[in-house]
Amino acid sequence: MAEFTLRLRRYDPESGQPPYWAEYTVDLEPHRSVLEGILQAKANEDGSIGIRCSCRAAICGSCGVMINGRAGLACHTHLDEALLGGRDGVIEVEPFNNMPVIKDLIVDMDAVHWKKIKRVTPWLIHKEPVPEREYIVPHENMVDVTQSMACIQCGACVASCLSMEVDPLFVGPAALAKSYRFVGDPRDAQQYERLKDLAEDPHGMYDCTHCFNCIEACPKGVAPMNQIMRLRRISGNDHHIVDRNNGDRHERAFVTLIRGYGLLHEAELLPRSYGGDSWFGKFAPAAGQEMASSLPVVAKAVMRRKVSIKGAMLGHKIPKADLKDVRRIYDLVEGKDERNELNLYITGYDEDLDETPGVMAATGAGDGAAASAEQGQPGMDPEDSPTR
Amino acid sequence: MKVAYWPGCVSRGFTPELHGSMAKIAPLLDIELIELERGNCCGAGVIAEHSQELADTLNARTFALAQQTEATMMNICSTCQGSQTEAQERLDANAEYREQINATLEGGGLRYDKGKVVNKNLLWLLVEDIGLDEVKKRVKRPLTDLKVGPFYGCYIIRPTDRLGIDHDRPRDRYMHMLIEALGGTVIEYAGMHKCCGFPIITMNKEASLKQAGRHIGDAIDADADCLVTPCPLCHLNLDLQQPLAERVAGRDLGLPVLHLPQLLGLAFGLNEKELGLGRHVVKPTSVIDWSTAVVGGVAA
Amino acid sequence: MPAHDVLIIGAGLAGQRAALAAADAGATVAIMSKVHPVRSHSVAAAGGINAALKVGDTWESHAFDTVKGSDYLGDQDAIEIMAREAPGEIIHLEHIGVTFHRNDQGELGTRAFGGASQARTYYVADITGQAILHVLYEQIMKYSDRVDSYEEWFTTSLVQDEDGNCVGAVARDIRTGQMEVFTAKNVILASGGAGHAWKPTTNGLICTGDGISQAFRIGAPLMDMEMVQYHPTTLVENGFLITEGARGEGAHLLNGDGERFMEKYAPNKLELASRDVVSRAEQTEINEGRGAGPNGEGIYLDVTVVPKKRTLEALREIVNIGKDFAGVDITKEPILIRPGQHYIMGGVKTDADGATPIPGLYAAGEVACVSVHGGNRLGANSLLDTLIFGRRAGEHAAKRAQGMPMPEGKIGAAELERDINEIDEIINRPKTGRRVSEIKDELGTTMNRYAAVFREEEGLLKAHEVVRRLKEEAQTAYIDDRGTVFNQDVLGAIELGYLLDTAEATVMGAIERKESRGAQFRTDFPERNDDEWLKHINISRNGDDTPKVSYSPVTITRWQPEERKY
Repeated sequence: MAEFTLRLRRYDPESGQPPYWAEYTVDLEPHRSVLEGILQAKANEDGSIGIRCSCRAAICGSCGVMINGRAGLACHTHLDEALLGGRDGVIEVEPFNNMPVIKDLIVDMDAVHWKKIKRVTPWLIHKEPVPEREYIVPHENMVDVTQSMACIQCGACVASCLSMEVDPLFVGPAALAKSYRFVGDPRDAQQYERLKDLAEDPHGMYDCTHCFNCIEACPKGVAPMNQIMRLRRISGNDHHIVDRNNGDRHERAFVTLIRGYGLLHEAELLPRSYGGDSWFGKFAPAAGQEMASSLPVVAKAVMRRKVSIKGAMLGHKIPKADLKDVRRIYDLVEGKDERNELNLYITGYDEDLDETPGVMAATGAGDGAAASAEQGQPGMDPEDSPTR
Repeated sequence: MKVAYWPGCVSRGFTPELHGSMAKIAPLLDIELIELERGNCCGAGVIAEHSQELADTLNARTFALAQQTEATMMNICSTCQGSQTEAQERLDANAEYREQINATLEGGGLRYDKGKVVNKNLLWLLVEDIGLDEVKKRVKRPLTDLKVGPFYGCYIIRPTDRLGIDHDRPRDRYMHMLIEALGGTVIEYAGMHKCCGFPIITMNKEASLKQAGRHIGDAIDADADCLVTPCPLCHLNLDLQQPLAERVAGRDLGLPVLHLPQLLGLAFGLNEKELGLGRHVVKPTSVIDWSTAVVGGVAA
Repeated sequence: MPAHDVLIIGAGLAGQRAALAAADAGATVAIMSKVHPVRSHSVAAAGGINAALKVGDTWESHAFDTVKGSDYLGDQDAIEIMAREAPGEIIHLEHIGVTFHRNDQGELGTRAFGGASQARTYYVADITGQAILHVLYEQIMKYSDRVDSYEEWFTTSLVQDEDGNCVGAVARDIRTGQMEVFTAKNVILASGGAGHAWKPTTNGLICTGDGISQAFRIGAPLMDMEMVQYHPTTLVENGFLITEGARGEGAHLLNGDGERFMEKYAPNKLELASRDVVSRAEQTEINEGRGAGPNGEGIYLDVTVVPKKRTLEALREIVNIGKDFAGVDITKEPILIRPGQHYIMGGVKTDADGATPIPGLYAAGEVACVSVHGGNRLGANSLLDTLIFGRRAGEHAAKRAQGMPMPEGKIGAAELERDINEIDEIINRPKTGRRVSEIKDELGTTMNRYAAVFREEEGLLKAHEVVRRLKEEAQTAYIDDRGTVFNQDVLGAIELGYLLDTAEATVMGAIERKESRGAQFRTDFPERNDDEWLKHINISRNGDDTPKVSYSPVTITRWQPEERKY
C-alpha cells in the first residue's frame, strides 16, 4: 500500500461559490485506479464528492474525467502512472473539458456529447427488402465496424477535442465515429446520404483539425480520428462528394500536386483547395476571393524574401527520374480495383502472431495474416476449427 | 554522426530559413547531412486520408532511399515524423503488406526492409543520439533571460504509443529539456501541446486561426519572448498567418516564432542573418535585440 | 404529473426491450433509470446470447440444456417459451442493427459456451451485452416521440392504490433533488441484481437490489433468493469478470500444480460445464491446498492455448482487462482468477409474462425470477432472458393497459410524503452512528464468507444475525452531503437498505433449503433431495417482523429430474 494525494476540482452549485481545489490523501496499492482512490476518499472522508461510476472496469463509460489535464476514465488509470504524469507529487482530477459542469466531477453530457450523437441519425436505416432470416454480411465488414462499436460513449474524445474547443458546433469525434459504424455497415441503406450530410456541414467531417487527441484519449481503441478519415475517404473516393467546405478539393489538390511535383507546391495548394483541382482553379471566384484576402500575407512573404515570385509560381520538383518513379507508383496504386487498407486494430502485429507457429500452421493462417479475414479460421465455428 | 537527411517539402518552399539554419548548425554539432534529394513528400496525413496504400508506398520509397545510406534518418518536421511513423508502423507490423508495397517499389529499383531504418526528428536526435551534454558544450551564447515557449506540433507527440513516448523517453518534454540545456527559461502555457490549426486552414479558416491565435496569446500572457517549434507547417500557421490570426483572436499578438535550428543557432553564437531571422513575417525583433545585446558576453 | 400506460424502472436490456415492445404495441411508455441507460450493467455482459437458430439445432435441445443447467429447479413451461422464442429474437436484433459475428458465408456465427450440448451462442467479439444495449438505445433515441426517457431519476418506492394494485412509483430527479409521483397503469421492474451485497462482486456499483427490495416492500414474494451464482473466472485482484467466452474459445483452467483439474469434476464438458460445477471445482482445489498464485488463493486461466489472432479478434476485451488491471498479457501467460459473486438467479416471482402476483406489477431480467434459471444460470442465457421476458412483459403490460382507465385519486401522495421525509431524515442525521460505507463493507464481507460457494447452517445463521444487526445500524447511519443537486450520498444510504433486504432474503432462503442444488451447496446437506426440496422457496414481507417463508411448485412439462453430470 502507498499514499497518494488526489487534488479534486470541487464545485457546489448550491453554494453560490466558484469551483475550488480540495486535496485528499488515500492509501492504496499503486496499481489501483484513480477511481478507487476517489471512492476511498468519498467513503472515508467526504461522501459529498460527486463522480459518476458503476462498473469500475472500463466498460460502462461513466467515470470520465480529466486526470493531470488529460481526458480518460478514472477506473482505467493507475495511481502510480497518474502520479508520474502529475506535477508536484499530486494527482489532479477535474471534470471533462468542453462540457458544462453540474457538480464536482459530474458534467452535463446531454448538452454536448449526446446532442452530437443524436445529430448523426444514430440508428440503422436498414436496406429493403428485409430478409426473413439474417442479412448476409461479409465477415470482414462486421469485424471492421467492431472498432466503432467498441465505443462506450464515455466522452473522453469529446472532452479532449481541440477543434471543439474553438468551434463548439463541431459534430465531434464520438458522433463521427458513431456515424462510421453505420457507413461501414452494409445493411445500412443511407451511406451516401450520411456522408453527404456530414461532408457539407461546415462543422462536420472536414472540421476535424487532425490533432490525434481523441485517439490518445480513447480507452477502447476506437481511434475516432481514424474513423473520420475513413468517412472522408469513402465520401471522396466512392461517392465523389465535393463539399462546400473545400475538404475534398484540398485533399484532391494535395494528392495531385505531389504526383505533379513530388513535393508540396504550397502556393498552388491554397487556390486549388478553393477553386478546384487544376491549374485553372485559381481563377475560380472562390479561389480569387481567398487569394485576394491572402494577398497581404503573400506580399509580406515576398518582401521578406521568404519566397520568390518565381518559386511561388513554379514550385519545386524532385529530380526527373524520381518524379517519374513517383508517378509510376501513383498509377500503379491508384489503378488497383480495390483499396488496400490495413487496420492494425483488427489484424494485430506480426510479432504477436508469430509465437505459436504450430497452432497457426494447423489452422492455415499464414504469417502476417492480411486485413481480410478470408483465412477461414476466425469466422468458423470453433467446433469446426481443427484446433479443438 | 552521419544522417540520412530528409528536409521535407516546406523547408525548401515557404520556410527556406529552416533549411538554411539547419545547414548552418549541422557542422557545429558534428552532424554530416546526407540530403535525400531523391525523396518525396510524406503526404502530411492528407494523402493517407485519400489512400493509405499510396501514402505508405510513397513513404516506403523515402525510407528505402534512407536505407541505402545505412545511416539514421533525420527529419526536421513534426508532420513528417508523424506521417512517416504511421506509415512505418503499418509496414513493420505486417509482412504480407510490406511485400505488397515492396512489389510496387521494385519497379523503381528500391526496397524497404524492416529494422533497417530509424527515423528521428532533429529534436529526438539531439537528446537521444547526441546527448544534451554535448549540445551544452557547443553553447557560446547561453539563452539567459530569453523566455521561450515550446510549441511541439501534434504529429510529434500523439499518439504516444506509436511515437515511442513514455516516462522513460519523455519525447513530449524534450523541447523543455533542450531550452534549459541552452540556458533559456521554459515558458509553459496552455497551448504548448495543442494544435496550430494548419490542417483545417482551408476548411474552416476561422477555427484554424482561432487555435493559432489562442495559443500565441496564451504564450504572450505567460510572458514568453518567443515560441520555438520543430514543425514548419506549424510555423506557417503561427508566423505566416499571425497577422490574420490577430484579427480572429481580436487582440494584438506580435510574438516571434523560431524554428528549432534557429534557436540552437542563436545559442551556438550565429547571427540573425545566418539564421534567416529576417525572413519571418513576424519580425523577431525582440529576439534579435536580445541576441545582439548579449554579443559582449559571447564566450570566445 | 407524469402518467403512462407502462412505466419501466431500469433501462438495461430488459427495461429497454420492454419499452420498445410496449411502444410498438401502442402503449404510452415511460422508462426511468438512475443512470444513463447505456451505463446499465447489461453493458458488461460479454460472451454472447443463446438461441437454437442453426440448422440442425432444436429449441428442445436448448431447453433441455437449460433445465439441466438449472438443476431441475427451473420452470419448464417458461424455459420452453424462452428457447422457442430465442431464434426470432436474434433475428429481430440483427435486423435493428446488432453487429453479430459472421461465419465465412456471411451468416450469423456461433461460439461454444458452458453447459450447452452444441455451439449456439451468438456474439459480438466479447462485448455482446454492450453491442445489444447500445443498439437498443439507438432505437430508444429513434422512437423518442413514443418513449419518454427519464434519465438519472432514482426510484424510491412503488405506489399502490387501496386495492393493492401497483399504480406507479415515487422517484427523485437526481440532478435537482425534486421528488415526483409517476402514475402508471402498469409498472415493469427491470432494475437488475444486487451484487454489492457481496464483496467482491463482478457487478457495477449501481447493482444494489433496488427493484428486489421495492417489490418486497409492497408485498411481492421473492423467489429462490438463495440461488446466487459465483462466476468461475473473476480476477483475483479486484473481482472483475473474465468472460466465459475465453473458455468457449478453448482456454484451460489449471491449479497450482499445473493440472487441468476439470477432468476430475466434469470429464465430458471440462471447462465448459455449468458455472456452479466449475466454481465449486475451483473452490475445492483452492480449499484443498492446490490453489495457484502467491497465496494459493486462485486458479490459472490459460488463454495462451487459443490462437493469438483469434484472441485478438474475439477476446479483445479481456486482453485489455488482463493488461490494464492485472498487468498480464493473456496471449503470453496465464491469468489468476477465482470464483466471484456475479448473478442472482432468484428475484421477484413472476409468471411467463413477467407478471408478479401484485396486479399491475411486472418484472423482467435479473430482478425477476420466472424461473428460467432455477438453481444455476447457463452463460449466455441471461442476455436471452432479459430480451424475451422484457419483450413479453412490455407486450403484456401494454395489452393490460388497453381499456383500463388511468388510475385516479391521490395516487402516491402518502408515499411521496413518506419518502421526502425519509430523505430529509437521513440527510439530517447526527454523526453518531456508523458511516454507510462501513456498514456496506461489513455486509459484503459477511455474505462473501457465509453465503458463497460453500455454505452451512452455523455460518448462515451467523450471517442472518449480522444482517439483522446491520439493518438496525443502518437506521442511524450518517452521510456527509446535505445538498439537493446530485446528492449521491443520500442515495447510497437508501441503496444500503435495498441491499440489506436482498441479503436477508438470500440468507433465509439458504437456511431454509436443506439440500444442495445448483448454486446452493450445503456442506451439511451435500446431496440433492428431490423428494423434499424440488420446489421454490419464497420470502415475503411480514409487516415489520421477520419475513415469512413459503413454497411454490416447480413446473415440469417433459423433463423429469435426473442426475446432473457434466
